Amino acid sequence: MNAKILVVDDDTALAEMIGIVLRAEGFEISFCADGAEALGAFRAVQPDLVLLDLMLPGMDGIEVCARIREESGIPIIMLTAKSDTSDVVKGLESGADDYVVKPFNPKELVARIRTRLRPSPETPSGTLAVGDLVLDVAGHEVLRGTGKINLTPLEFELLLALALKPQQVFTREMLLEQVWGYHYKADTRLVNVHVQRLRAKVELDPDNPRIVMTVRGVGYRAGSPG
Amino acid sequence: MLRLGRLWRSSLQLRTVTISVVMSAVAVGIIGAYMSFSIGDNLFDSRLALALSASERSNAAAQSRFDAVQQTSGLDLDRVMDTAADAALSSSSTSAGTSIAILRTPGQSGARLPVDKLSAGLDPDVVISEGLRSDVESAEERRLFWQSVSLPREDNGSDPGLVVGSVLDVPGSGQYEMYLVYNLSDTQQALSFVQATLWLGMATLVVLIGAVTFTVVRLIVGPVRLAAETSQKLAAGELEVRIPEKGDDVIATLARSFNGMADSLQAQITKLATLSQVQQRFVSDVSHELRTPLTTIRLASDVLYDQRDDFPPATARTTELLHTQVERFELLLADLLEMSRYDAGAVDMELEPTNLVRLVEDAIDAMGTLSASKGSELRLEAPGGYFEAEVDARRIRRILQNLLANAVDHGEGRPIVVYVDSNKTAVAIAVRDYGVGMSVAAMERVFDRFWRADPSRQRSTGGTGLGLAISLEDAALHGGWLEVWSAPGEGSCFRLTLPRVRGTMVTESPLELPPVPAATKEDA
Repeated sequence: MNAKILVVDDDTALAEMIGIVLRAEGFEISFCADGAEALGAFRAVQPDLVLLDLMLPGMDGIEVCARIREESGIPIIMLTAKSDTSDVVKGLESGADDYVVKPFNPKELVARIRTRLRPSPETPSGTLAVGDLVLDVAGHEVLRGTGKINLTPLEFELLLALALKPQQVFTREMLLEQVWGYHYKADTRLVNVHVQRLRAKVELDPDNPRIVMTVRGVGYRAGSPG
Repeated sequence: MLRLGRLWRSSLQLRTVTISVVMSAVAVGIIGAYMSFSIGDNLFDSRLALALSASERSNAAAQSRFDAVQQTSGLDLDRVMDTAADAALSSSSTSAGTSIAILRTPGQSGARLPVDKLSAGLDPDVVISEGLRSDVESAEERRLFWQSVSLPREDNGSDPGLVVGSVLDVPGSGQYEMYLVYNLSDTQQALSFVQATLWLGMATLVVLIGAVTFTVVRLIVGPVRLAAETSQKLAAGELEVRIPEKGDDVIATLARSFNGMADSLQAQITKLATLSQVQQRFVSDVSHELRTPLTTIRLASDVLYDQRDDFPPATARTTELLHTQVERFELLLADLLEMSRYDAGAVDMELEPTNLVRLVEDAIDAMGTLSASKGSELRLEAPGGYFEAEVDARRIRRILQNLLANAVDHGEGRPIVVYVDSNKTAVAIAVRDYGVGMSVAAMERVFDRFWRADPSRQRSTGGTGLGLAISLEDAALHGGWLEVWSAPGEGSCFRLTLPRVRGTMVTESPLELPPVPAATKEDA
């Protein structure tokens, strides 16, 4: 079955062009050109992935992203002409999994889409403990005591990667490769923002992290159980 | 002592008050001393005149007693002596006491000799000096001789005194000398009192002058200090501070002109800040506007490029050209936007402690295929050491890419060596190629925007002409240096020096320019 992708961009020429490129790769494409209609289109189409432009008429792309996130954890890739850190961070914080700066290499875009859509690799079933959390690997759930914490698939994979090797310190590059699937020098800001998002969700006190610990000058590692 | 010196230099008030107090004290002291002496002299002179005239009268009185005796004989000359002495004393009495001594001039012959008369407590040897006695004795005319003496007191002190001597003729006995000793202690007291009052008055005057100066200086220094403090606040960035303008004097004028200056500064700075913001926003908007159609063009050109094998040769070639130029356009746009960010001052740095050797290794790896295709071997020389520095890794990576690409471009297939070294405050990376090199004129312009050494050279790595300009800006952002050395035919070396910690000044680079290869160092 071909994956369905919803392209939300107000530049119709660009959207069409993206459509041509992605169809050649075997994806099914739907379009939406207005932010206000994006949510409706999302519900109607039920895509496997959303390509979302930030600057939209009707409703701002950030807003659309946040709304979609409320309903679903499907991969969202931001398309943006603005590469300033503040804009990127804002987009990532609102729920996007990745971002692509215009103009982009179409092959790059396709690679990132495929990465986001790939099925999770075989992981040992059972549960893992990180700090005071319990990770249900097969069910993709995180529990603190009896309370469930909602994580997007990406956030879960990030936490899982750290938890599978508790003693290991992961550099940002390693995380980019393992969790995002990038085999070249990508922007480590991605990792920074997602760690912040993850911490905001799972840490009791985000300023004193116990689950995802920073190792200064190197990267991150999982906190010990208990 | 140092503290005092510093206090002296820093306090205008202290200096002014001290100088005026010292100067007025000196002036007052001189005047006071002069007045004191003058009064003293005057008092003494008038007292002397009094004494002399009194002595004159006394002499006359005594002499007349002696003369009266001539008429009658058989009177006790001693008693006459007493009477004469009393008469003399009564003409010369002073509040402090007058003593009298009537002494016979030695070396005379004569019949009846009255005994020398002395007042009680008067020791003639102490009080009446030899010089005075000889003056009086050998006088040829009847006149008075005087001398200032010091009269001993019972409490071992002494009073000032005056001795006036004159001759007396005692009938039948010869010449006698009469000395009247005047105690001037009362005059002395008067003088002391006057002097004390004078000095007290002078001291008070000096203190008053000090106080007045202090107040006056305060009035002046106050506004000046306020102006100084306000200027400091303004310079520190508080653009709204002003000095209160009161009155019409020169201080108010100062306040007004200061406020005018502050107003204009504030307006200017605000305008520049707004301008910078406007420019930033423009850059941002332009970037968005340009990038979107460019994305579509890029995608289109890529799709065509992928299918070029299916096109007739001319169309295929067209597609290739389109593809490369679109790529070039993209790079140019990105570089231009970067440059305009520097110009607008709108750059943000993400500083992190980074291992620079690792960064260099990664950059060399990334350049691997390209350098191999040109035949250049890429080598890293990094002696052991601590190579962590607080840098923006993305920007340093970009600089390295640029320097390596340039080296491969101009390296003529010869080896390219990258040196990394550090000292206590800085880290340095040098990229050395042994290729075509450049002239001195070229070196001066190599960092200029859009300047190319030789436009006709085949540039396999593309390049917008902005690479080194951007690298230079990135180096400057870190507070570091990017320098070049080159010799035609021998190659070039670009040296990047960065401070380990953001904010420290780089004073010297850990690497020489061009660096000495390790092999040579070992040989030497």
